[in-house]
Amino acid sequence: MTDRRENDKNWIGRLYDWAGLSAPVGVILLVAFILVPVLPGDFWTEVGTEVLILGLFAMSFNLIYGYMGQISFGHAAFFGLGAYATAMLFRYFSGGTGEITTWQFVITLLVGPPVAALGSFIVGIFVIRLTGIYFAILTLAFGELIFFIVFSWYSFTGGDDGIQRLLPPAIFRDAAVYYYFTLAIVALATFIMWRITRSPFGYVLRCMRENPLRTRFIGINIKRYMLVNFVVAGTFAGVAGALWGPFTRSVGPLLLGWQEGGIAVFMTLIGGAGYFVGPFLGSIVYTFLNAYVTGFTVYWPLTIGVVILLIVIFAPGGLMGIIDAKISQGWFGLFRKKEPSENLNRLKTDEEAGD
Amino acid sequence: MPLDPGLLFVQLLGGLSRAMILFLLSSGLSLTFGVMNILNFAHATLWLVGGYVTFSVFSFLAVPLGESGLVLVLAILIGTALMVILGYLIERVLIRRMYARELPEQLLLTFALILIFGDLIKLIWGVEDRSIYFPIEPLEMLDTFVNPYYFVVLAAGVGVAAGLWWFLQKTKYGKIVRAAVYSRDMVSALGIRIPLIYAGVFALGIGIAAFAAGVFLPLMPMALGVDTDLIVQCFAVVVIGGFGSIIGTFAASLIVGVVYSFSVLIWPDGALAVIFLIVVMVLIVRPWGLFGTELRY
Repeated sequence: MTDRRENDKNWIGRLYDWAGLSAPVGVILLVAFILVPVLPGDFWTEVGTEVLILGLFAMSFNLIYGYMGQISFGHAAFFGLGAYATAMLFRYFSGGTGEITTWQFVITLLVGPPVAALGSFIVGIFVIRLTGIYFAILTLAFGELIFFIVFSWYSFTGGDDGIQRLLPPAIFRDAAVYYYFTLAIVALATFIMWRITRSPFGYVLRCMRENPLRTRFIGINIKRYMLVNFVVAGTFAGVAGALWGPFTRSVGPLLLGWQEGGIAVFMTLIGGAGYFVGPFLGSIVYTFLNAYVTGFTVYWPLTIGVVILLIVIFAPGGLMGIIDAKISQGWFGLFRKKEPSENLNRLKTDEEAGD
Repeated sequence: MPLDPGLLFVQLLGGLSRAMILFLLSSGLSLTFGVMNILNFAHATLWLVGGYVTFSVFSFLAVPLGESGLVLVLAILIGTALMVILGYLIERVLIRRMYARELPEQLLLTFALILIFGDLIKLIWGVEDRSIYFPIEPLEMLDTFVNPYYFVVLAAGVGVAAGLWWFLQKTKYGKIVRAAVYSRDMVSALGIRIPLIYAGVFALGIGIAAFAAGVFLPLMPMALGVDTDLIVQCFAVVVIGGFGSIIGTFAASLIVGVVYSFSVLIWPDGALAVIFLIVVMVLIVRPWGLFGTELRY
């Protein structure tokens, strides 16, 4: 991993070398998340649940953006497909009464990810045919198409009314219980994603991002890898979607729209796309900023738009990038001066990027 | 459904005028991308801003001058000029910083502009739809009544298309722009100031969009959210036609506009789905678009 001497470092330094900034930040976040329900009242627990679910959604997006180097504006379609699959089975089981047994509830959650996987496979077949700008356009277009289908197929999906009264079984109705349930699933999903990004598969993705042509020259079928990654990302978005319906007690077609997809994009960007836990950090900042700003103004899109603009122009590495830069400057003497760690720091500076 | 020629004719006119607006937007989109390699997600949002600005100029002028066609023409010209200035400023202040960046960051910047301008519209003009109502005597054609303004719109669209083609093919500046598409370095080495070309092309694209918005004001109300529907269809157009091809964009606009218009007649909910079916088919057969060249990625 590194050519620096291993033995003159404390454990933080070694962790940093092994996993970049993501591991220590991830550990801190995990501890913090476990402690959230200790805070008085259900408010923080509910905000925490939202942060977790959307964080998972954003991380699944970053498999495509940060690791594969393609930008998907239609990722919410798979989040929404997962949410709708779960919600529709939920409606079937509960028969509109809102009562559902625990094992039925578990089955409804299990059905979300495969449906999202199927959806992302079908869309993926088409979108992976092209890269770059076309990939962005096509994901947006297909996402809007799926949104449109769900929106107008009133008899099947409930149209713009969505599906209401998704009341989880009694034990999950407590905010703290659902929070820990979500935390367990999100932590597991995050761990699996972490393993994926550190596997040969994950390195092939990075290789494709850096140089698709060379990746092909060494005998890798890049289209197949793109498709598999697209499906993996879609599946994890489906996991997040499945958790979303019972959390908010309802689903609506806007979950599939480009605005929802934009949330994943913004979270990733705020946190730092070049870092594994970046999207999660972004989810925290975004969710709190949203809750704070919408408290006194309805012009949230304007606010987040300006924030994104500033980040794109001045800090393309996001929050994690800023922290990483500070550490490499020997921040507070906590760390030795070192090169910025990053394992996937793709974001070029202006000087080195020629045309 | 009985095939009523009058109804079909009205639908065809609707489709053609829709094709015009798609073309006017997509050509700017395609031109900006071809020259600067920046895909402007906010293009349709700026079109919408242009529509609102033209509306305001029209309302302002209508007080002393009265509501007439001439005032509308004047309002469209002033609105377009204002938007050209705005486009120039956006390029100078924001887009210019992004040329050396990676593609996703460029996309994100323009994506942020959708949110900013979308909300600014809400802030300045509120949430009501804005349109200009003209009491025009309908023409009777094929046993049905047709709003003659459709023909004005079609003429304006074809006029701009022809003008753009003439500009790009026949004028010195058009040739510089086309040369810049092929090799920025070479153009730059010949002593032509590339930044000026970029700013000009961006402003031109916005200007065409604003002009389109103004021309369509009596036909189509400006409303929040119209821009995102439109940009998705513009993307369908540029994918079908192929980037960097004015002819391809024109042909694809006609296809999308007319097909959409007739799909609405037959299967109202599935009109957009039909468009995407075409996109998918084009992608399978010719991923680079009907008129695009294979070398462009």
